[in-house]
Amino acid sequence: MTIQSISYYSPSIELRPESSLLDALKLMLEKHINHLPLCDDKGSFAGIVSTQSILSELIPVSARMEHGLADLNFAGDATRLLCSHLHSLEHRSVGELADKNVPVLGEDCPLLEAALLLSQSTSPLPVIGKDGKLRGMLSRRTLLAYLVQQASV
Amino acid sequence: MHGSASAAQVILGLSPLAVSLTVFVLTYAAIVTEKINRSIVALLGAGLMIFTGVLNQSEAVAGIDFNTISLLTGMMVLVAITQKSGVFQYVAIVVSKWVKAEPWGLLVMLSVITAVFSALLDNVTTVLLIVPVALLITDSLRVPPYPYLFSIIFASNIGGTATLIGDPPNIMIGSAAGLTFTDFVVNLGPIVAIIFALTLIPIYLIWGRKMRATPEDRAQVMAFDAKKAITDSLLLKQSMAVIGLVIAGFVMAHHIGQEPGTIAMFGAAFLLLLRVVGKDAEEQSHETHRTWGEVEWVTIFFFVGLFVVVAGVEKAGALDLLAGKLLELTGGDFPTTAITILWASAIFSAVVDNIPFVATMIPVIQKMGTVFSADQLSTLWWSLALGACLGGNGSLVGASANLVVAGFAERAGQPIRFLPFMLLAFPLMLASIAVASVYLYLRYL
Repeated sequence: MTIQSISYYSPSIELRPESSLLDALKLMLEKHINHLPLCDDKGSFAGIVSTQSILSELIPVSARMEHGLADLNFAGDATRLLCSHLHSLEHRSVGELADKNVPVLGEDCPLLEAALLLSQSTSPLPVIGKDGKLRGMLSRRTLLAYLVQQASV
Repeated sequence: MHGSASAAQVILGLSPLAVSLTVFVLTYAAIVTEKINRSIVALLGAGLMIFTGVLNQSEAVAGIDFNTISLLTGMMVLVAITQKSGVFQYVAIVVSKWVKAEPWGLLVMLSVITAVFSALLDNVTTVLLIVPVALLITDSLRVPPYPYLFSIIFASNIGGTATLIGDPPNIMIGSAAGLTFTDFVVNLGPIVAIIFALTLIPIYLIWGRKMRATPEDRAQVMAFDAKKAITDSLLLKQSMAVIGLVIAGFVMAHHIGQEPGTIAMFGAAFLLLLRVVGKDAEEQSHETHRTWGEVEWVTIFFFVGLFVVVAGVEKAGALDLLAGKLLELTGGDFPTTAITILWASAIFSAVVDNIPFVATMIPVIQKMGTVFSADQLSTLWWSLALGACLGGNGSLVGASANLVVAGFAERAGQPIRFLPFMLLAFPLMLASIAVASVYLYLRYL
């Protein structure tokens, strides 16, 4: 049995690497999801962008970098700062933040292997066809829901 | 101590002068290329000086200036403990609010505190602590960070020039020449203050007068709560008290007949005692281990190796020759010698590490004591200190603190490029040396 027996999400929502980060964020908020797969113009997988990576871009770089500020308690709410960083997302592409190093699942990936990889990942994982094209995303929830159904618990 | 006495010990009967110079040149060349970590190169060079028979082990150990080593290590421990208290961020925020977060005033205040901290602590630590706060403030004000980073580099090198403990060259010079903390402040303090103030003029003309921030963005910085930057108030009190005592100790060192190295090491051990007292053995061991781990051993072993390499060429008589050549060049004229040392040190230090340069120049200047009076000799020390420390401003590789700031700039997505930096920094550095020449001339020559 392979993951083909699971009805994983088909890539109905796709973004191009050159789409703006702000558009990606709006899309994720609208669809209530935290991760979006990216495809290039040939339909090949080009990384995952997440709400986490976008949120961390809003944090001042002085706190994100090595030897940077360890906490920002003293800086107050700084809503203006966060909003001004949010505005700058409009001019930046999703490709910049895309995590291309996520493990990918082949269409014929066995269920156990998929479970192992998902248990080690913080994001859903892309399912890739033999032609290299993105078939969809498999999340922990989808896999677990399938198992619950199989075990009839 | 001179060549002929030990010539027979050198391997294959080679001339000690030739062997020691070969080791010296190879070591310094390897340091300059930066292919291998400098502490490893220096220690290998030191080993070669001994294996080739230029020095024996006890002569090598005698060449190491343990006052410099203890002073450096002691201050590193004090700073490693103190920085955890958040006091540097606290001060940076307080002074920013004094000037109502106005961009130019802010640049001046951040430069002033960088200069003051660099005078009392090492420059690298100072910029490591100030730059992240400066970047947060420029981010909040939506002003470009480059002018701030540029000024912080200059302020750290200029401030570090002012005191015995401000910059490693000064520690070495003070230790070798027996100059006190007060000597440095009295002789270098005034010119450092003048150069600092003058440096702000071009920075104002190039960037300062065009800096603007909206009232809303400034209000955001004014809303920073400095007290919340203090992460450990007990640690703050303990470390401020100990650093205060250590600095008071430096000022009095001469009168109480103690070396600054002893005072710094004792202060470090005392602050460690305050941190571990009342804790169980495991916690003590963890705390102590962590603190020693923060000592920059690369720098310490680099110094150890260099001292031995320099002791080798000194014993073989190479530095007598160099001192002789230098005096020949200046015709033995005192003002010419002082100004030559100043400019040569500045230009060398702008492009290569100033520590090996100063380590070599110290014995050379000491040998000039045969020609010049004690007073004249101390002027030469100020020439060397001013040149070596201020020269660090000449390029991005002129001082370690410059590279630390550049590293931050890179990570913040605002890289400082080597050539554009040098295009402004090198002329500014030369101008500061010109001002220092006038000062030396009017005060000492």
